[in-house]
Amino acid sequence: MTEDSAEDIEAIERAIGRSHPGLRAEFFSSGAEMLARLATTRPRLLLLDLNMPGESGLDVIRRVRADDTLADLTIIVFTSSEEPAEADACYAAGADSYIYKPLNFALFQSVLSRTLDYWLNRPAAGNDARIVVPPSGESSAQT
Amino acid sequence: MPELALTWATALHRLWQGVIAIDDREDLGDLVLPPLMALPGVGAVWGLRHRAGGEFLAHRWAGLPLESDDRILAERFAVSGEEATAAFGTLAAHGLTRVLAARFDVAGEASGTILVAVDDRADARFVATCLAQVVEVTREAVRRIAAHRAEQQQQTRDALLAEASLQMDAVLDATQTMHRVARMTVPAIAEGCLVFLSENGRPVLHSGVHVDMRRLSAMLDDPAQTGRLAEFAATAVRDGASRNAGADAQVLRARGRVIGVLVFLFDRDADRIPPAAFLRDVASRAALAIDNSTLYEQRRREVAAMQQHLLPNRLPVVAGLSVAASYTVGDEVLEVGGDFYDVVERGDGAVAALIGDVCGRGVEAAALTGLARHTLAALLAEGISPVRAMSSLNARLHRHGSWRFITAGVALLRPAGDGFRADWTSAGHPAPVVLRRRPPNGPGRGGGVPLGILPRAKLGRSRLSLGPGDTLVLFTDGLTECRDADGRMFEESAFAATLDRLRGAPADLLVKELGQAAAAFGGGQADDAAIVALQVGEN
Repeated sequence: MTEDSAEDIEAIERAIGRSHPGLRAEFFSSGAEMLARLATTRPRLLLLDLNMPGESGLDVIRRVRADDTLADLTIIVFTSSEEPAEADACYAAGADSYIYKPLNFALFQSVLSRTLDYWLNRPAAGNDARIVVPPSGESSAQT
Repeated sequence: MPELALTWATALHRLWQGVIAIDDREDLGDLVLPPLMALPGVGAVWGLRHRAGGEFLAHRWAGLPLESDDRILAERFAVSGEEATAAFGTLAAHGLTRVLAARFDVAGEASGTILVAVDDRADARFVATCLAQVVEVTREAVRRIAAHRAEQQQQTRDALLAEASLQMDAVLDATQTMHRVARMTVPAIAEGCLVFLSENGRPVLHSGVHVDMRRLSAMLDDPAQTGRLAEFAATAVRDGASRNAGADAQVLRARGRVIGVLVFLFDRDADRIPPAAFLRDVASRAALAIDNSTLYEQRRREVAAMQQHLLPNRLPVVAGLSVAASYTVGDEVLEVGGDFYDVVERGDGAVAALIGDVCGRGVEAAALTGLARHTLAALLAEGISPVRAMSSLNARLHRHGSWRFITAGVALLRPAGDGFRADWTSAGHPAPVVLRRRPPNGPGRGGGVPLGILPRAKLGRSRLSLGPGDTLVLFTDGLTECRDADGRMFEESAFAATLDRLRGAPADLLVKELGQAAAAFGGGQADDAAIVALQVGEN
């Protein structure tokens, strides 16, 4: 996860430790640091804040997607931006998820937890399960 | 055993203190089981979490582990409701002879049973008393944890509503508002959110966001799925809401009208799905934000159309002159500006260019703007002099007791030599500028009193000569008086330099660039500005 605020890192670690005790989080203050670490490790998820110093978040996505050995890596972008073109650019570059990062930190913790719940419950390679809307009154939601 | 009782009292006191600090039920076993294990003659303390129907959710222990067959036997004993039984499973092999049980229930939460296995040395009655006290502490801890969790969820929902409202209300563009509605709710409320608007009685999808957009795209590419979605949304319109395990639809109602449906898609455990009342609250706020932005856009279109009707839809083609005009809407406001202009040809070969500015904005100002422009243009076209035309308008305004006044100016151009002679008549209007083919430029003179103030019009008059390539530029004060962030006016800081830059530019380019330069200078806070340019041909 890219995050350069020591205070936020501590709070995020605490929140993840509580909501997902089996998950180990590593934090990087820049895209370059994160890319260097990817040379030696294979994480399950990459959480990017587009506003980070140095290499842009979009460049990080492109470079990760250019590496076939990282094909299974899920890339999630957190951003407070409301620029529609930015979402399109992130998806075009290869992001899997583009999530609004709330200003309220408690809310962000909740958003982070739900995001992790979703992606950790999905198969690493591809997401074959389709969303199915059952007719009113029925109760199955997934195939 | 007063010493043991004292020791237990201390342990119980610590237990009560401990539960206050716990906010997760997963941590409870490590706190409540060991004190019982410390009692003389106790060989195992087992904690079982279970639902009312007998489904076991978690197992915790202190002392002998709760595993294999012991787990099955312990579960069987726990659901029996008995308070004591002979040792079972592997307990006897460890010298334990009896098992005591106590259960607790908390409304809305999983129940719990604590089993304590003792040998013959234990004071069974004392252990049973201690067990009852620990169960009481545990029940209170579970109740506190549930209350804390509910409070946290409520705080998160309140924060979400506050932030979502802020974001949804921050834009006045309907498309952007709908996108923000969907985006703000994912994944805090649901894994996906779709915004449908009612069009001709049918729900039409306008925006959709999902934590996994590829899956949403795949679903929306499937006609059978989109058909079901539309049916699901239509059911909500009919019934007010529609829900199943995977989706929830809330009707979007604003100002008493149903404007659409908000569909939430869930891919989470049922206990993580927010209550319907909360989803209804989100939909209410979203509906108002969407309706506001839609109404705003509609009003903007009406204002733009009205503004267009107040201005001439074309300017005349005049021999020897290039005529161009522009109208720049300085600020994104919902009211019609009061600037106007027109150019009319007269039967006597003269050309009259008029420009004016009704003070204020809005419908009343717009009505006056239309009246002023048409009155002046009609009188001038009939060959009436600018002084008489403006005096006539002044008399009419004064007679009707309008509190609004109008600054106006008329330039009457007649061919003179190889150029034109311009007679400028002003009623408190900014003086025009002559952008000479070669510098310096020639500033005109203003003068006069705005129309509608005095019983008899007081007008300023001056004469300007235009040679080949010269351009007479008429404008309203929105052009020259717009200010930058530091409060400096365009007229003082950039007007002359902009005109110099545009020297030699064709009339249509000149008015366009001049308007844009002022708007950029004002940084979007400028007033409306009308500009008319009359450029003498080089030949």
